[in-house]
Amino acid sequence: MTWTSPVAFATLLVVAPLLPGVATKTRALLTGRRGPPVLQLYWDVGKLLRKGLVYSTTTTWLFRLAPVVVVATALLAASVIPLDGRGALVSFTGDLVAFAYLLALGRFMLVLGGLDTGSSFEGMGASREVTFSSFTEPALFLCFAGLTLATRGLSLTGMLGSPLAAAWPAAAPSLAMIGVSLFLVLLAEASRVPVDDPATHLELTMIHEVIVLDHSGPDFALILYASALKLALFGALLVGVLVPRARLPGPAAIAVLALGLLVVAVLVGIVESSMARLRLSRVPQFLIAASVLASLAVILLLMT
Amino acid sequence: MTFFFVGIALILAGGLAAALFRRQPALADRAFGVLVAGGCALGLVPAVGALAGRDVAGILFAMPMPGGPWAFGIDGLSAFFLLIVFGVGLASAIYGLAYLAVEREGGHRPVATSHLLMAVVLAALALVVTSRAVVPFLMAWESMAVLAYFLVVFESEKAGVRRAGLVYLIATHTGTLALFAMFAFWGRFAETLSFDALAAGAASLPAGGALVLWLALVGFGLKAGLVPLHFWLPEAHASAPSHVSAIMSGVVIKMGIYGLLRVVSLLGAPPAWWGWLVLIGGVLSGVLGVVWALAQHDLKRLLAYHSVENIGIILLGLGVGALGVSYHLPVVAALGFAGAILHTLNHALFKSLLFLGAGAVYRATGTRAIDRLGGLARRMPLTWVAFLVGSVAIVGLPPLNGFVSEWVVYQALLRSGAAAGGALRLAVLGVAGLALIGALALACFAKVDGIVFLGHPRSAEAGQAREVGKVMLGPMFALALACGVIGLVPVLVVQPAVTAGALVAGLAPDAIGAAGAEVLEAMAWIAFLSLALVALLALGWRAAAALRRRRSPVPGETWGCGYAEPTPRMQYTASSFATPLLASFGPVAGVRELRHGDAFETHPTELILDNVALPLWSLIQGFAARLRPIQQGRLWIYLVYLMAALLLLLLYLATSGGTISP
Repeated sequence: MTWTSPVAFATLLVVAPLLPGVATKTRALLTGRRGPPVLQLYWDVGKLLRKGLVYSTTTTWLFRLAPVVVVATALLAASVIPLDGRGALVSFTGDLVAFAYLLALGRFMLVLGGLDTGSSFEGMGASREVTFSSFTEPALFLCFAGLTLATRGLSLTGMLGSPLAAAWPAAAPSLAMIGVSLFLVLLAEASRVPVDDPATHLELTMIHEVIVLDHSGPDFALILYASALKLALFGALLVGVLVPRARLPGPAAIAVLALGLLVVAVLVGIVESSMARLRLSRVPQFLIAASVLASLAVILLLMT
Repeated sequence: MTFFFVGIALILAGGLAAALFRRQPALADRAFGVLVAGGCALGLVPAVGALAGRDVAGILFAMPMPGGPWAFGIDGLSAFFLLIVFGVGLASAIYGLAYLAVEREGGHRPVATSHLLMAVVLAALALVVTSRAVVPFLMAWESMAVLAYFLVVFESEKAGVRRAGLVYLIATHTGTLALFAMFAFWGRFAETLSFDALAAGAASLPAGGALVLWLALVGFGLKAGLVPLHFWLPEAHASAPSHVSAIMSGVVIKMGIYGLLRVVSLLGAPPAWWGWLVLIGGVLSGVLGVVWALAQHDLKRLLAYHSVENIGIILLGLGVGALGVSYHLPVVAALGFAGAILHTLNHALFKSLLFLGAGAVYRATGTRAIDRLGGLARRMPLTWVAFLVGSVAIVGLPPLNGFVSEWVVYQALLRSGAAAGGALRLAVLGVAGLALIGALALACFAKVDGIVFLGHPRSAEAGQAREVGKVMLGPMFALALACGVIGLVPVLVVQPAVTAGALVAGLAPDAIGAAGAEVLEAMAWIAFLSLALVALLALGWRAAAALRRRRSPVPGETWGCGYAEPTPRMQYTASSFATPLLASFGPVAGVRELRHGDAFETHPTELILDNVALPLWSLIQGFAARLRPIQQGRLWIYLVYLMAALLLLLLYLATSGGTISP
């Protein structure tokens, strides 16, 4: 680990709230609207932090703990990604399992927080959230399996660090498929169109937004920040797979990360402006496509 | 081993005390508790010693015994299972004192006998995992299996319980039959029936021991609940009293895993097809088990289906370990087996914790129907904390023990993918199966925790629930603590597990070299991440609490979309929660959906029980009915049968030219 790892980590934390803003702006511009300012989420988080709190009388301590868990797990999950393209803050064999399962812990507590309110709407959102994550989790691990096959690495640093550049020429089709699969996983995990629509305002149709209906003030600020961070995390994985940066000088690698994240956000915006949210019963098919793509990549790699 | 046998004697004495002093319940309970606790503590001494790498001298009976010398011993593998037997056994037995105490008032159920049986089953379990010869192994095995039947049918006045018990009894006997066949066949190629002799004779088994491996898979698979041999499990576990369910799910079914591991270690390298079979069986058990659990809305039956799921995870590790042996990759072999062993321990801890928690809910509310519960987090705050710890652990999330063992299984799968080449790399696809199992388990426990403990009570029973007493909470918190310690300091168990895994794979403890060091380093990092998580949560919670004090939060109604008067009936139910997932996975797993008028239910169909096991059973019954005329119930007829049998035997001896004594 060099000085670049902590700097890249800090960059990610700072840039994260920009990404939903960029995506929304892109979507607005492409559909001929002006849209909210790109920095809107920073203002929202800042304002919510200064606001008061309302707690439903049904809720227990778990509801108050959930936002803290969601942010803490996202932060720790960020620490195992090699954000500067060479080494993560924390790297060990099998750290990818920690990455996925830390995020799962955050999801588990968020979902329980929703159920703690006793609201049907939040129950609905919770049920959908765990349903769709059951489809993304295998896809994510198939992507990891493909990366292991391509690079012989057993940690995220081992996969996305220097061996990746060497693996690209030989395994380009597989790695490209893994990239596409990861992008689909990102859309689902970050609750974007076509799986979820962050702009919807009807409780019956929401997924992520509806679980957090009852959170307010600083609690809600934490949740908004954590979901932006989650988008950034999967964006960083995607950039890590598609743009091997181990040979770039440190500052350039970090700049490429920031730029790459913005490009991912623009792509998300383009997807959002070009298609509608899928019907709920169609979403699993969309997410199975991510698994199928990743399996194809794995099988291609196994044959070589 | 002295400690071990004294411990067993104490446990048995505790059981006898419970039976002898049945007229003075207070004295009986105290004697039982003290003696069983002392016995389990003594029994744990050599087990912990063996895990720490100390040599525990075995015991060999020098007298001529049937089937060759009888031996008992504790190696790294036995030690892990002893930890489970004594640890979970102790917690469940103590909990059982309080759980069954209320039954004394009715007076028609055999409380004292149940305690006695519990003690004997614990002793039998301990002997199963320490036997080093076939005859004592099978004797202990059969005592465990048969006595567990009597524990299960405690509430024998209920027809459902009797039926579940009968199905269990038939299933376990079928399994024992397969084991008899396996050992009898194997014994023909060995000098005596001691395990050492079997290992020496393994090389001369025909077809690489294919028959032995098949029979082991049937015999031990039936006990473990490997799909499709799981059909007896959910009902038997759900019908038993909760502390018995904890022993059944936590310990008894693990004996199947122990048997498979022991057979592999005695047999040497199994052929590759067996490893693939176990691996695929593991994925199937895992995925189907958790889907059935999702469709299940009876709390204890749901937990029982989760045992099928976790046996799947264990078999996934066992399968990839066997593949590592077959394809000569020591690292994959040792890590695969280590993952299986470790997940066995962890599952024993959190599943017994969850069953004890379910028992507390049942005692407090009188119902096991998830959709009639709700809001228990406020009414039973301590049970809720313990149950939540168990839930996070079973889903495999950090910072608890389930994460550690799933990590080891993932590690074995990923390392098979990083191998130089060959068919073994295909095993890497197993990670998708494990990830799916994990995500579905998360969904299922979100359902259980959310519907049972959170929100508003859905029935009057749930609304009047009160926290259970200390004797029930104590064992639950002890188990929760064990889950936490393993999660925060994983190296404590991972190092012995890797050593035991190497033992099963027939390797020296240090045979995996650099990879072993990497695993230990990873354990340090996992401990770091877990502690960092705990620290972040503590800090975040304090900061949030301070903020809350300054902002003085406003109490309000849950947002009801503008609807002014929400009722508890409007809350989401377990059925509605699981529906989107079952829409996708249900048809594959044979889950039936029932929609009628204003209600809606889902049921897992017992495909194997209804379509295979029961028809087969009525076939056998029909055949047996034809034999009935020979049973006349008169003594002289049976004497004639005896004479006839003796004459036939003598005739056989005379014609075959054999002699009576060698």
